[in-house]
Amino acid sequence: MLKVAVGDFTMFEKILIANRGEIAVRIIRACKELNVRTVAVYSEPDSNSMHVQMADEAICIGRAPSSESYLRIDRIVSAAEITDVDAIHPGYGFLAENSHFADVCENCNIRFIGPNSRAMNALENKAVSRALAKKVGVPTPPGSDGLTENEQDALATAKQIGYPVMIKAVAGGGGRGMRAAHNDISLIKGYHTARTEAEKAFGDSGVYIEKYIENSHHIEFQILGDSRGKIIHLGERDCSIQRRNQKLVEETPSPLIEGKFRDLRKKMGKAAIRIAEAAQYTNSGTVEFIVDDQGNYFFLEVNKRIQVEHPITEEVTGVDLVKLQIMIAMGEPLKLSDSDVNIKGHAIECRINAEDPFDDFRPSPGRIEMYYPPGGPGVRIDSHAYAGYTIPPYYDSLIGKLITYGKDRREAMDKMNRALSEFMITGIKTTIPFEQAILQDPNFRRGFYSTSFIDNLLGGARRELIEDKV
Amino acid sequence: MDLKDIKAIIDLMKKNAISEFELEKQDFKIRLKRGICGASGAQVDDSSGANLLPAVTQGGPAALPVGTAPTAASPGELEIKSPMIGTFYRAPSPEAAAYVEIGTEVTPENVVCIIEAMKVMNEIKAEVRGIITQVLVENAKPVEFGQPLFRVRSI
Repeated sequence: MLKVAVGDFTMFEKILIANRGEIAVRIIRACKELNVRTVAVYSEPDSNSMHVQMADEAICIGRAPSSESYLRIDRIVSAAEITDVDAIHPGYGFLAENSHFADVCENCNIRFIGPNSRAMNALENKAVSRALAKKVGVPTPPGSDGLTENEQDALATAKQIGYPVMIKAVAGGGGRGMRAAHNDISLIKGYHTARTEAEKAFGDSGVYIEKYIENSHHIEFQILGDSRGKIIHLGERDCSIQRRNQKLVEETPSPLIEGKFRDLRKKMGKAAIRIAEAAQYTNSGTVEFIVDDQGNYFFLEVNKRIQVEHPITEEVTGVDLVKLQIMIAMGEPLKLSDSDVNIKGHAIECRINAEDPFDDFRPSPGRIEMYYPPGGPGVRIDSHAYAGYTIPPYYDSLIGKLITYGKDRREAMDKMNRALSEFMITGIKTTIPFEQAILQDPNFRRGFYSTSFIDNLLGGARRELIEDKV
Repeated sequence: MDLKDIKAIIDLMKKNAISEFELEKQDFKIRLKRGICGASGAQVDDSSGANLLPAVTQGGPAALPVGTAPTAASPGELEIKSPMIGTFYRAPSPEAAAYVEIGTEVTPENVVCIIEAMKVMNEIKAEVRGIITQVLVENAKPVEFGQPLFRVRSI
């Protein structure tokens, strides 16, 4: 195989995608546009999955459980070796932020498409990242310095910062491993439970304590870093619409920033870059912040991967983030600078989950009978679903993302309303009716919402949801 | 015809990649058939390439047969499947004899092949008892998880 290499730039001929579902499809699409051949890996129940069919080659790597397939570093690297790939794209979740996996790839001469090990280690868990942010003068929520080792520590911290507080697992991610405490009793109980849960879920029982900022806004910044140390940001994403700490609807620009605190974009963008530079970050990442109602911002953590909601940034900037990830990994220097990044228009994303919103969002795997996605101008679908596809019960419930783009927020919302009402999926339950209710909520339409929005929607006055039309 | 002659014929068959030989004389008939992969063309020469790499069908998703041999195992036949991803070798080294051939009787503890993964040569045990009836993968070819390697007639 002829490999083109000039200086520290190596053209990739073939990439293995160590993931599944919609993100695997997304990565394969970027590879096709870059003329790079693709290898899919899949578990036995995923043999008819879209990413397997789209890839040039596909290797079965094990049985259904992720621990026997998508998390098996040895099998994924073996698959990479027998197909002779140049690089592996880890997607999000699974092994995307596993520095050991990144190391193994490098040792086997396979490029890992993501941040290098040094950057991963500098931001290896939430507590370490908090310390790094403090060091470069970025505000963090009041809380413990380092891990909370015992009950006394926990009580002392809570006394110092005041209730309510949040007990967080240092190795947690994706909104998991957090519990709130409003007083000493719930703190003690929660502390011990949190440690046990963290050990079970993440293999690390370390926890720390932070002030729980109520009615907060989750605003994150997309960053990109190349191998020469250049780091830029591509604006923010407002991801406050969450149910049980799982994002459901995201948009950019943030209505909070646009409406009330315009100067925050520059301030927070600079803070994000400062943290990334301190970690010598490379490739794609997201710096997460919490903003309170007074416009005070606090650093939360860095997600060292491409994120689910990356399409909304792509729509308003015109930048293909996944392609850039691949090119940065090839050694290509970033041609964009901050001044080149033009944020134009407005984009909204709804995550379509196979869950029943009328039954406490119970997961709804099974066979999709009819699948008719919306279309027309300003509508984008990133999904691996198709009519006749059976959603396996072993993985997450995300079956697709519906993204709309308009010249302003009103237009993006109008298109989302239209698109949601056109979207026909039968055979399984989806969150589409719930998202229709969100989009039509007067507070959402005004751009007035915080992380308590969905709780209020579900428990408050507006209880009735749009009925299923089908 | 004695055993020496039969062995000579078998050698000739191997050398010349002949899969079937039949000889009939007035009071004697002999038929020899080699059943390893490479001899039965369907398993190796199919248009989609090696069994483990399914062809991408143009024009929409369809259920793809993945890593399956074209003929199913008959009743009483078991399959030894690959427990890992790597490169399949029939012998411990290029000069050594293959671990098993068609007709070899195996017990669960017998090593039937090597699968090399990440520079480690893994000895794969039969885990079944019986007689090897088919070798489904060519030497030095890549295999994926769950791919059938041998067919065994249980005894």
